[in-house]
Amino acid sequence: MILRRSAGALAFGAVWAVAAWLLWRSSLPAYHLPHVDEHGLFPGSVLHRAQHYSRVIRLFWIGQTVTQLVVLGLFARYGVRWTRESAAGPIGTGMLLGMVGFALVWAAELPFSVLEVWWRHRYGLSGSYVDATIGNWFALGAKFVALCVALVIAMGFARVRRIGDRWWLPAAPAFVGIATLLAFVSPWLLGGRTFHAPYVPKLERVERVHVPVKVLSGFSEPNAFSTGLGPSQRVFLWKPITEGAFTPPLDRFVLAHELGHLAHNHIWKSIAWYALFALPLAFLLSLAARRRGGMGLPEAVPLVVFVYVVLQLAVLPLRNVASRHMEAEADWSALRATHDPATGSRLFRLFAGQTLEDPNPPWWDYVFLENHPTLMQRIEMTRYYRSYVRSHNHR
Amino acid sequence: MHEPHPVGLLVEDDYRRNRLTVAFRLILAIPHFIWFFLWTIWVVLTSIVNWFICLVTGRPPRWFHGLMCGYVRYQVHLSAYIYLVGNPYPGFMGEAGEYPIDVRLPEDPVKQSRWKILLRLFLTIPALIVGAALAGSTGGNVSGGSSGRRSRTTGFNGGGALLLVCGVLGWFASLGRGRMPKGLRDAGAYSIGYTAQTSAYLLLVTDRYPNADPTEMLVSVTDRPPRHPVRVVGDPYDLRRSRVTVFFRLLLAIPHLIWLALWGIVVLLASIVQWFVTLFRGTPARGLHRFISAYVRYRLHVSAFLLLVANPFPGFTGSPSVYPLDLELEGPQRQSRWKTGFRIVLVIPAFLVDTALSGALVASAFLTWFYALVKGSAPWGLRNLSAYALRYDAQTNAYLYLVTDRYPHASPLEGEDVPTE
Repeated sequence: MILRRSAGALAFGAVWAVAAWLLWRSSLPAYHLPHVDEHGLFPGSVLHRAQHYSRVIRLFWIGQTVTQLVVLGLFARYGVRWTRESAAGPIGTGMLLGMVGFALVWAAELPFSVLEVWWRHRYGLSGSYVDATIGNWFALGAKFVALCVALVIAMGFARVRRIGDRWWLPAAPAFVGIATLLAFVSPWLLGGRTFHAPYVPKLERVERVHVPVKVLSGFSEPNAFSTGLGPSQRVFLWKPITEGAFTPPLDRFVLAHELGHLAHNHIWKSIAWYALFALPLAFLLSLAARRRGGMGLPEAVPLVVFVYVVLQLAVLPLRNVASRHMEAEADWSALRATHDPATGSRLFRLFAGQTLEDPNPPWWDYVFLENHPTLMQRIEMTRYYRSYVRSHNHR
Repeated sequence: MHEPHPVGLLVEDDYRRNRLTVAFRLILAIPHFIWFFLWTIWVVLTSIVNWFICLVTGRPPRWFHGLMCGYVRYQVHLSAYIYLVGNPYPGFMGEAGEYPIDVRLPEDPVKQSRWKILLRLFLTIPALIVGAALAGSTGGNVSGGSSGRRSRTTGFNGGGALLLVCGVLGWFASLGRGRMPKGLRDAGAYSIGYTAQTSAYLLLVTDRYPNADPTEMLVSVTDRPPRHPVRVVGDPYDLRRSRVTVFFRLLLAIPHLIWLALWGIVVLLASIVQWFVTLFRGTPARGLHRFISAYVRYRLHVSAFLLLVANPFPGFTGSPSVYPLDLELEGPQRQSRWKTGFRIVLVIPAFLVDTALSGALVASAFLTWFYALVKGSAPWGLRNLSAYALRYDAQTNAYLYLVTDRYPHASPLEGEDVPTE
């Protein structure tokens, strides 16, 4: 029995590793980034401001994470008492318990959200106390819906007698299916007005991606993202990135980066990475649930929610590695499409001043919090591109 | 069980209405409006003096007490007349026992807590909110002079949601039949009774807080209506509320609201099929009846949870006998084809009453939220007012979706079996 399980685990590990290797493959060359000193790139005042600002933001993150773990730990221990507040069946009661757990976390994290707004205001960044409290409240509602759907799937399968504790086998694909559906549908729900610029058609031709480019209002920071699958693919630019200090060449570089994501199928790859993590995580959750009688019982939910959050935290570094790899490929794609490393470098330097992102964060921040390459890595990438082009032209 | 409220409603109305006076009721009431306006100004001024004296002595002087009682009673008589809760033309002095819709008030001034006197205006705010939802800003037609520093008067304010709807619908019914329907009369009387309690509290006639429980207000002064096939059952003393789930109640209800909306779409389609079946067969299809009944029950459960009328998180199937506030529904019965054919039109008056009651329900939930967060329980009166509103909503839905052809009964009292001879 043990031998069979070990062989199964080994086979699964091998398949997982092969899949991860396939997903890891990219158009990035085997590169080695040249070292650049940040003090030579950023004025001392900008660097100091960004570092000081980020240092406290990191403390808030630690505080929030510890609070979340403590609250959910206590909830895992004592949360079962809320079953008496339910007249629903096991699945409905499980949903109630899950929602109450998240609600308690929300309440405990609220001071950090408010403090973060206060800290942002100190540095002249935008932030609203209403958004941090009431806005967060609505975000919590959306989280509740997602949680309930997940619990309905997991508990629903677990309560099927023939499936039982193997609920994670059908549940993981179901989660992936929902994630795919959301990725497909969400671009149509976001709206936005069409972005017009003379360089858009040329960039699309170079990147071989023809998708609508939209501008979203209601944001106070410069940002952009690409999303969607097949016919729903879109690039969204947050309004601040199309105005002020962001000149057309900078916007062109941003757009090239986002089109690069779509050109290299990063949305599909993100879903695939999600799928790769979903199966083992769901399995580990099923192990945790067995300690409380199995996932089919509401009593298991508080513990499962706690274990889920711990596992999410544990795999965060791995997910960030995958995400950073895709971002680097999109940067590389933008450099190849624009042939303008100087603009790329200027854009990343501007980010440090505008968003107060630390160009060179400490290692643990890099591991846990950075799902993009650091600003220094991105600037180094532009330098590397220069030498890469030079050496290839020379050949 | 607690002591009866010192301000009690008295009803000796026989439902008969004179069509002529009904038709011209508002015009006939003009002298009363003028008189009431003048009286209100006088009461506002004197209530300030009364407040200061009460603050010092702990009880209102007898003369002031008599004046305030007369004013509250006159307000009841006039409201009842305008909104067709009573038939005869009222007197101008608010005399006790002169009108079929009357109130019992404390004969003598009573000792009151000075703290409550000091804070009376602020303490009255929740009651004013409920009163506004039932009958206008403070009482049927009146408003209030306050005994605080910032006395105000709004005079005649045109009535509030429930009382106004009862008055308008009652006007048509009384013109047509020469009788006021019992349900509308009772609902109107309840609204007037509650606002009389609020006025009495505000004007320092009593320091007992208004009690929104409709049963306590009416059960001893009027008959119960006949038993309705759609009945709400539950323990009115089930008042415990979990503070955590109360605080997050709106968010916790989101999955239910989504499910309710999805189920509602299917029920709408099913009820169209049911309409044809009932029209041709005269009896609804059993399977559809069961399906729609479960939806109506589930809707009640979700509303009860969302609006803090009950505590536990409800199930998603609308199963009977699992929720503390439940709905009893009868199986498919033979229905009148005429009523079935015109159901969508016939339901309109019930919808108006239902909408008016929804205002009271929301106001009640809003206040209960704060109360439950502090005390960990729901106030008894508001809980029972909400249960009444939910019962009417369930009866309206059951009527609309062809679960029954018995019209919703607006009386705040739950029905009882009519004894057979």
